[in-house]
Amino acid sequence: MAMVWREMKALRKEKTIMFAILIQLFIASFSSVILLGIMVYYDPGSISQNSQVGLDVGVIGNHNSMLIKYLVDRNYRVRIYDDASRAEASFKAGRLDAIVILPDSDKGVVNMKLVLPDMDAQATLALMLLKDPMERYENYLRDQEGVTLRYHDVQGKPFTTYEFLYTLIIPILMFFPAFIAGSMVIDSISEEVENKTLDTLLSAPVSINYITGAKIIASVVVGAFQCILWIVLLGFNGFSIQNAGWILLLSIMITGIIAILALLVALVFRDRERSQFIYSLVILVLFALTYFISPSPFALVARLATADPYVGATQLIIYFVMLAVLVAATPFVTRKLMSN
Amino acid sequence: MRLRARFGGKMITAVLILAACAAGVSFMVFQQGMVLAKDFYIIGVSPNAPILDDQRFHIVQVPIADSAQVLKDKRIDVYLTGASLYYRNDDRSQYAAGAMKTYLGKREIALLAQNYPLNQAFPLRVEINYLKAPATDIGSASPLTLADILSKAAKEKAAASPPTGGDITEGAGSQPLPPGEAIPNETDEMVRQQLQGLQSAKLIPEFKAEFAGQGEVIVPSLMSPPIPLAQVMLAFAYILPIFFISIFFTSGFLEEKLDRKLNILLSAPISPFQIIIGKMLPYIGYSLLIVILITLVLHGNLLLALAIFFPVILFIFAIYLGVALQYRTFKDQTFFSLVAVTGITGYLVFPAMFVGINDLSYVSPLTLAVQMYRGVDITPYQYMLSTVPMLLIFVLAVTVGSRVFNEEYLLSFRPLHVKIRDAIYYAMNKSHLAISTAIFSLLFIPVVFMVEMGVITISFNLPKALALGFSLFICVIIEEIAKSLTVVVTIEHRLVKRWFQVLVLALVSAAFFFIGEKLLLFMSLKVISESLFTTAVFAGNMLWIPLLVHMGCTSAVCLITWKTGLKGYPLAVLVGSLLHGLYNLSLIGVFK
Repeated sequence: MAMVWREMKALRKEKTIMFAILIQLFIASFSSVILLGIMVYYDPGSISQNSQVGLDVGVIGNHNSMLIKYLVDRNYRVRIYDDASRAEASFKAGRLDAIVILPDSDKGVVNMKLVLPDMDAQATLALMLLKDPMERYENYLRDQEGVTLRYHDVQGKPFTTYEFLYTLIIPILMFFPAFIAGSMVIDSISEEVENKTLDTLLSAPVSINYITGAKIIASVVVGAFQCILWIVLLGFNGFSIQNAGWILLLSIMITGIIAILALLVALVFRDRERSQFIYSLVILVLFALTYFISPSPFALVARLATADPYVGATQLIIYFVMLAVLVAATPFVTRKLMSN
Repeated sequence: MRLRARFGGKMITAVLILAACAAGVSFMVFQQGMVLAKDFYIIGVSPNAPILDDQRFHIVQVPIADSAQVLKDKRIDVYLTGASLYYRNDDRSQYAAGAMKTYLGKREIALLAQNYPLNQAFPLRVEINYLKAPATDIGSASPLTLADILSKAAKEKAAASPPTGGDITEGAGSQPLPPGEAIPNETDEMVRQQLQGLQSAKLIPEFKAEFAGQGEVIVPSLMSPPIPLAQVMLAFAYILPIFFISIFFTSGFLEEKLDRKLNILLSAPISPFQIIIGKMLPYIGYSLLIVILITLVLHGNLLLALAIFFPVILFIFAIYLGVALQYRTFKDQTFFSLVAVTGITGYLVFPAMFVGINDLSYVSPLTLAVQMYRGVDITPYQYMLSTVPMLLIFVLAVTVGSRVFNEEYLLSFRPLHVKIRDAIYYAMNKSHLAISTAIFSLLFIPVVFMVEMGVITISFNLPKALALGFSLFICVIIEEIAKSLTVVVTIEHRLVKRWFQVLVLALVSAAFFFIGEKLLLFMSLKVISESLFTTAVFAGNMLWIPLLVHMGCTSAVCLITWKTGLKGYPLAVLVGSLLHGLYNLSLIGVFK
């Protein structure tokens, strides 16, 4: 226990945890920005709902087209022009975001023209905002032709944010502390090797396994603390995490597994630079391999967090077994590595 | 040399085995298609439901008779039959319905193409035309007028009328025609091309020049937005290898620092500048080699790619030089490197996500790279906006680095803020304080700019109402610190003797910071091409008042510190920031 405290104190002094938390905050923030970027492309509807983006559309041609109805349904301001030059003048004066030129009837193949401003940003936005009314108009034309689409009346909620948050961000936040924990174990071991303090500790009446055990327990405790912090913070932001207990347990077990692996890597290579490099590669390969476990740790966190009735304690057993095997084997391996 | 020394024997075997594993595993993942949300939505299906081929869906067979109960018990998220989709009102079910809506929509469109003639399946075709937009005085790519577009439409209509005249109207009426007898429409070919795009699922995203080109015909239901993934992929392809190389650079540097090998170098008859550049050059060389290789593989423009990524390489090395000079332990270095990696990646990737949506995306050189691969021309202003701050940071890092390159600084164990102040002290020319202050003010701008970008990004985590106030306040504090720091160092080291010397330095610092800031703004506005806004900002009053505010706030901070000593500095910064903040609030009209 005293050893664990010694490690925890060393960590606190280094202020490393603050940095770890800062990094995670960064990841979370940048993800939300990237998410915004994705939404601009995929979900312009949600943006127009949020920020009241209006659209001014000029219409030339068929005044009775169903497209006009669909545009009005979306609360876009529609102005009808008989005279092309007047429409052009309004467009040039910046009063119109787009001009629609419609053929005389809503029958058969409709070749319409869409005039957009010659500016990348505005044109993209206008086109994305017009996509939905144009699709409805297309369905109407299909219907006239006797072609009906199934399932087109399904509503549902835009799922991009939900999927992104639960299947990517939350799992990353739950496993990043594990990655940091391993990295910390390596630093702490290689520092003791380089400063020769390990020899001093070894000459004291404690076994090497107490020393390494203390380092691992300290890193797991710190990792768990970060996970709890994230679960609480996400809760404050209105993202509920179901099965938080199971998720925490999973995260702790994976932190333990990674910390032990990091310890072994550090004991084999001894110097920090090579250990960190090999450790990063090992983590990369392992995480890629878990993709073939069903459910993978990432998917498992996502499904636990959204209260999927098909996952629970049973799916955690495999990680428990892995951790147990490693815990049982590490003392022997460590002693062997130290005696070399 | 160094790489070979480090990675011999046991190491090389381990690296090779692991690299082989990594390659093998990623190939297998790639083959299977990477789906993070495997089995994320639980879909109950009836026996006659369409087959769902998407790994996100966890499919559960449920007889129609039990479906209502199973759905109510939340054992499935939605229930799919051959004709309808049933769902509940709670979030989980609603999101699943949203996902199913998108999936089924695409699937149905693909089916339409197989089962109906083109004219019935895709009766709406939209031709995109661009017209010179209001308020753009820059050279426009489209000399068209609306009359041109309309007269073209009239000609097409005439051409589309069948020669037999009369009995068949355009579009073949509402009678479904059997396949093969459909009247060909000249836009059919374009529809077919888009259909092909839908059917061949692309693994590597396309670099589309724009959403739709001039005269391009699109079908609303086949319209797919350009995937911003390309930007992220570019970032990973180019930036990650550079990170790896720069980490070796820092580690090597730090190790020599700890082994005291640097002391030997310091006593040799070469300047610190030569030592730093000499140490950096090989690694910069490796990075350039990687940029060349990747560009060749991706078939990019080699010269342009080098022009874009050379400043990025210098910038990354500048940051890592700073990390190596400041820290003594490896543990410190790990975390600072991680912070640097996250920060730099974010700074590069985040603006590039908005290519083609917001022109501010040009603050990141990655945007230039995306545009290069799209074949879009890059203007000199755009190039300068994204690369000049990076080059300035490199100049700052190397200048300061070579000035602080002495044993006392490199091997001292002091807190970060003390080390930064010491670095400024060493880097200053003590006989020309005003010039040093002016140069530092200019060089701090890109740092401030990048930190502020980071702050704004972090503020996204907060509720909207708080976010604006938070980022405004933190940005003001950062600016006040940047403007006063050099002057405070002169106070700390007693380089100034009288209060008016402090005042002069404060005014110089504020003025040059202001000039630099406006230059940066001018460059960004050139890129954003909002000519009206440019004239507004540079019109008389708009320049003088903020200059006076800058000068006033900085003078206040410096003079308070002069009176109270270094201990009063945080308080001084707070006072200055409050003044500055109040001005900013009045500017955005809070007090009206």
